[in-house]
Amino acid sequence: MSEFTSHIEFKNFNFFYGKYHALKDINLAIPHRKVTAFIGPSGCGKSTLLRTINRMYDLYPDQRAEGKLTLGGTNILESDIDVSMLRAKVGMVFQKPTPFPMSIYDNIAFGVRLHERLTKADMDDRVEWALRRAALWDEVKDKLGKSGMSLSGGQQQRLCIARGVAVKPEVLLLDEPTSALDPISTMRIEELVDELQKEFTIVIVTHNMQQAARISDFTAYMYLGELIEFGNTDQIFVKPSKKQTEDYITGRFG
Amino acid sequence: MQSGNLSESGTAVVPDFSHKLGGVMGNGSVLQTRGGKKDFGDIAFTWLVRVVAMLVLLTLLGIILALVWASLPTIKALGFSFLYTKEWNPPMDHYGAVIPIYGTLVTSVIALVIAVPVSFGIALFLTELAPVWIRRSLGTAIELLAAIPSIVYGMWGLLVFAPVFAKYGQPAIAATLGKVPVIGSLFSGPAMGIGLLTAGIILAIMIIPFIAAVMRDVFEITPPMLKESAYGLGCTTWEVIWGVVLPYSKVGAVGGVMLGLGRALGETMAVTFVIGNTNFLSSPSLFMPGNSITSAVANEFAEASPGLHTAALMELSLVLFVITLIVLMISKWFLARMSKMEK
Repeated sequence: MSEFTSHIEFKNFNFFYGKYHALKDINLAIPHRKVTAFIGPSGCGKSTLLRTINRMYDLYPDQRAEGKLTLGGTNILESDIDVSMLRAKVGMVFQKPTPFPMSIYDNIAFGVRLHERLTKADMDDRVEWALRRAALWDEVKDKLGKSGMSLSGGQQQRLCIARGVAVKPEVLLLDEPTSALDPISTMRIEELVDELQKEFTIVIVTHNMQQAARISDFTAYMYLGELIEFGNTDQIFVKPSKKQTEDYITGRFG
Repeated sequence: MQSGNLSESGTAVVPDFSHKLGGVMGNGSVLQTRGGKKDFGDIAFTWLVRVVAMLVLLTLLGIILALVWASLPTIKALGFSFLYTKEWNPPMDHYGAVIPIYGTLVTSVIALVIAVPVSFGIALFLTELAPVWIRRSLGTAIELLAAIPSIVYGMWGLLVFAPVFAKYGQPAIAATLGKVPVIGSLFSGPAMGIGLLTAGIILAIMIIPFIAAVMRDVFEITPPMLKESAYGLGCTTWEVIWGVVLPYSKVGAVGGVMLGLGRALGETMAVTFVIGNTNFLSSPSLFMPGNSITSAVANEFAEASPGLHTAALMELSLVLFVITLIVLMISKWFLARMSKMEK
């Protein structure tokens, strides 16, 4: 792994929901502009780990993190970090599509307007750029004024990806992005992830073993709040070093 | 591929079982295994709810007919002049409804202007900012405020609020807003405590709990994941509320405002106490006493002689009914337009 520069690093990282110790001593380095998958049985903490990277847990008063979590060398757990700026650098897409109740165009422009002042022409370009990145442009270019909610589930999810990409983040967090989608939409999103990793560091949580094997460069296997194994996806799936990982991947457990 | 769609504005689709019922009753096929017992229950229940629903329509129709019938004498005698003359003089049998109509509309508008922003703030604080223990206690307090009888608000307005308002509030308003060109004339004249502005403020206090409670409920139904998506883009709390929560819940929020407006238009007791109950209004100032439709009816009905006076009061009620209907239609049209713009 050392041949890659790491982008996000967890050092002695712990996370608590109130008194419940959800993540235990995580040490993990996520490589720059690669796809890293978090896998593991339900409740193992993979989503929790993902949600710390943009400090989403800040919204909930009883959740807290300890240790060190760096993004490009800066410890983002420090209290003087501007969370809005952090989240502009770290985009997120959720299990279900969450289009905002506004037009397709405004769904994209909404996030951009938070951080940049663009002229109408520049904004038009940015919207097109983001929608092309999300492989959605051709399907919606004639109806940008229509509600984002009028799209199909798969299109909505790509709209959400475009929305995240439009802000020009460094990292994209995908929290089971295809779990609510049909196989064809899932395939399109996977192709998209493959395209997007050229420009973004991508971290994806998935329940789907094949998906992790197909699209990720690196895989982290988690169990009961601990990071059991992390490594090259090929190596994890073909020749895991831990028995536990092997049991999970081969379906004997989980 | 609509499976992932968020249902818009949370309207539930009520399953229509009528075809099922029809099938069971009509064909009498395999489903009829419980000796027809179920069928009887279903039929009886269907008719029961049908009758109840019809009762609503009948009541409405009955009220409209009764009002029109009772106000026929003035409609015949005065025609449309009832709506545009100012003089209301029962001994001379002169009836013009401008003053009460104006009073009803103006006090309701004042109430909305004050109550909507305040309720919005309360609802936002309760749903997005307040710690959990405050949410519960403050939420209950607001619901309790809504349960206070309106006569209590009226007495409090007359005995406590009006004197204080006359001494401190009105001079302060006259010295500030009263100096602004154009709208200055609305805030001039003697500080008497009671009057249109006071009535509007009391109404605002009364409808705040209603609007705030409805707004809180509709803000709460915004899916957490939608809010997290907005936070995930780097929104501040305000940007999430303004850009996502409000657009998502606007239909419900407008509904809450309309509920408050309906209550303000129809409120009687509290307004009667503080509006001044006079049918003379010569200045545009909101400090002046005036009258509202409901106050006029409540104050005069008991002593009204049969004939034109009673008919005039009935026609006033009819006018209020029509105003409420127009408000309702405007709000429906407004909501329909908003949801059209979204498509």
